[in-house]
Amino acid sequence: MRERLVAVALGAAAWVTVLTTIAVVAVLARETFAFFTDPLVSVVEFFTGDRWTPLFLDKHFGISPLLAGTFLVTAIAMLVGVPLGIASAIYLSEYATPPVRRRVKGVLELLAGIPTVVLGYFALLFVTPWLQTFIPGLKLFNALSAGLVMGFMILPIISSLASDAMISVPNSLREAGYGLGASKLDVVIKIVLPAAFSGIVAAVILAFARAVGETMIVTLAAGQRPILTLDPRETIATMTSFIVQAATGDQPAGSLAARSLYAVASVLFVITLLLNLVSQALVRRFRERYE
Amino acid sequence: MTTASARRARGRLFYAAVLTPTLLALAVLAALVLDVLGDSVSWQVVEPAGSGSSFSVAEGFRFTGTWERVVRLELAARGESAEEVDALLANSEERRIFAARNRVELMWAVDGQPLRWVVTSSRDKLISDHALVAGARERKALLAELRPGQHLYLNQWLDGSIFGRNTSRSPLVAGLAPALLGSLWVMALVILIAVPLGAAAAIYLEEYSQDTWAARAIEVNLRNLAGVPSIVYGILGLAVFVRFMRLGPVVLAAALTLALLVVPVVVIAAREAIRAVPDSMRQAAYGLGATKSQVAFRVVLPAALSSIVTGVILAVARAVGETAPLLLIGAAAFVPGLPSSPMSQYTVLPVQIYSWVGENNPEFAHVASAGIVVLLCVLALLYGVAFWLRRKFERRW
Repeated sequence: MRERLVAVALGAAAWVTVLTTIAVVAVLARETFAFFTDPLVSVVEFFTGDRWTPLFLDKHFGISPLLAGTFLVTAIAMLVGVPLGIASAIYLSEYATPPVRRRVKGVLELLAGIPTVVLGYFALLFVTPWLQTFIPGLKLFNALSAGLVMGFMILPIISSLASDAMISVPNSLREAGYGLGASKLDVVIKIVLPAAFSGIVAAVILAFARAVGETMIVTLAAGQRPILTLDPRETIATMTSFIVQAATGDQPAGSLAARSLYAVASVLFVITLLLNLVSQALVRRFRERYE
Repeated sequence: MTTASARRARGRLFYAAVLTPTLLALAVLAALVLDVLGDSVSWQVVEPAGSGSSFSVAEGFRFTGTWERVVRLELAARGESAEEVDALLANSEERRIFAARNRVELMWAVDGQPLRWVVTSSRDKLISDHALVAGARERKALLAELRPGQHLYLNQWLDGSIFGRNTSRSPLVAGLAPALLGSLWVMALVILIAVPLGAAAAIYLEEYSQDTWAARAIEVNLRNLAGVPSIVYGILGLAVFVRFMRLGPVVLAAALTLALLVVPVVVIAAREAIRAVPDSMRQAAYGLGATKSQVAFRVVLPAALSSIVTGVILAVARAVGETAPLLLIGAAAFVPGLPSSPMSQYTVLPVQIYSWVGENNPEFAHVASAGIVVLLCVLALLYGVAFWLRRKFERRW
């Protein structure tokens, strides 16, 4: 009897995590449904319109400026984070000795552990003024500096996960390459990278999801002006920075402007969920092959 | 056919190409820390509202009562008689008001002289503010341009008094007390909620559940939860804890929200720790007639405890640095008092830093950087403890 009670109690704790997901989906679905049933809102406009002005008198609900802003910042972050992260992963798994690897990984973990509000401060008060000395027309709030700093935020994620994938490539493959007279460079590029490919892609996708959902760097450094542009010098707004803006302003609960926040959050949730699922599927495939 | 030397040269080039990004990441980390530290000190040209005097270290320092000593010196310099000063310091209410509006600071430099005590006031008039390095370069010019009644301070924003002061509209006397205490409250409650929940879920998944669809669902769900952006947890907390459960914007709502945020991290760390406990130990316990729960709680859990604690500390560090979800569930920039219970209104360090960075007054950037130094120290402490535990109790089975 006591044994059963313990088992049920432990199981309940595990189900709390499932309940969390259900609650997230329920909250988002309810408010998003309420948003779309409002006579001022149309689903078609939401996905095709190019103006996002829920906090103004003349309200338009086209999410594309927020999507453009999000993907502009994320793209800059990926341009920085992916090559640097993969290169650093190659160094960690193929060149560094195990003690060096452990230490460098530890320090990279510190970089990953810096709170994003601190990174936002750094982007706004250090990176932007520095960039302004040689990039004319760079706004005080801009996508470029937020993206650059975010690139260094995702670098440790990519570096750590991709090096794990490379380390688990069996040594027999490398030795076979050397046996055929390949140089270390050949072995890394033609054997290790292709063999670890799905693991590396999984790491990149996970980092992408993290960048899309990142809030404080963009809120502090990229601004809150939803315009449809791909100019990295411009002030923009992302999905996450709009959520902060709408939630910290004084929109009454239940108003259309407040509900638009939930619609944006739903889009954000779906995008990150899909990215995570793809990443996990890739990791599984990679594991099946080598472990 | 490439020659051997060309091949070696390419190899070296590639080595440099993969080493550079790692060094670059370390350089960015160093730049960030130096920038934050540098921003917490600034050169300021000030027209003091008080006497404008400064006092040498020896004049002001007392083993007990430095604050009172410097205040006496300052008030005397303002021309108040000894009786008036005694009366002010004896009256606790007047003393409190004086402390809230004035600050006893050991300036790194006053005009040309190093290390002087100054009583600054929220009514001091700031003429200009210069960054540490830029100001040091222009120091001579700034000194030459000082008008009568103006002083050049090398002001260190992060001093001991910042921990004791409340937030303020005036950057000079804005303090960290409510944010620091709020962060400690939230941290303690997150540990109380997330650790039992996470550990129990991990024990269930590793020791109890069979490989059924339910176990797989929980598993997939956990991995997805770990990838949900933190701001979405803020929306969940707002809808469920703040509004539906009517907790309002209080410490408990923040702790519950952040607990849900870190539970997946705790579970994943705890599962790894539990999985590392060798089966032979379980079987030995079963062989002695132990029940399933006895094996779980008396054999597996103690053996995995140090790794679990390490994982928990890292998860808590994440919660302490979180800003976005708390902005949504109503951590305020200004709170009426210090949090005293789970149902108090609150603010936390990252939210306080965020609101300071958003201020128009450039002086708040210095206060923000002082806050960041404190936040990073708290995190460093947590990481240090986790690292130490990992070292001390690391076991190979």
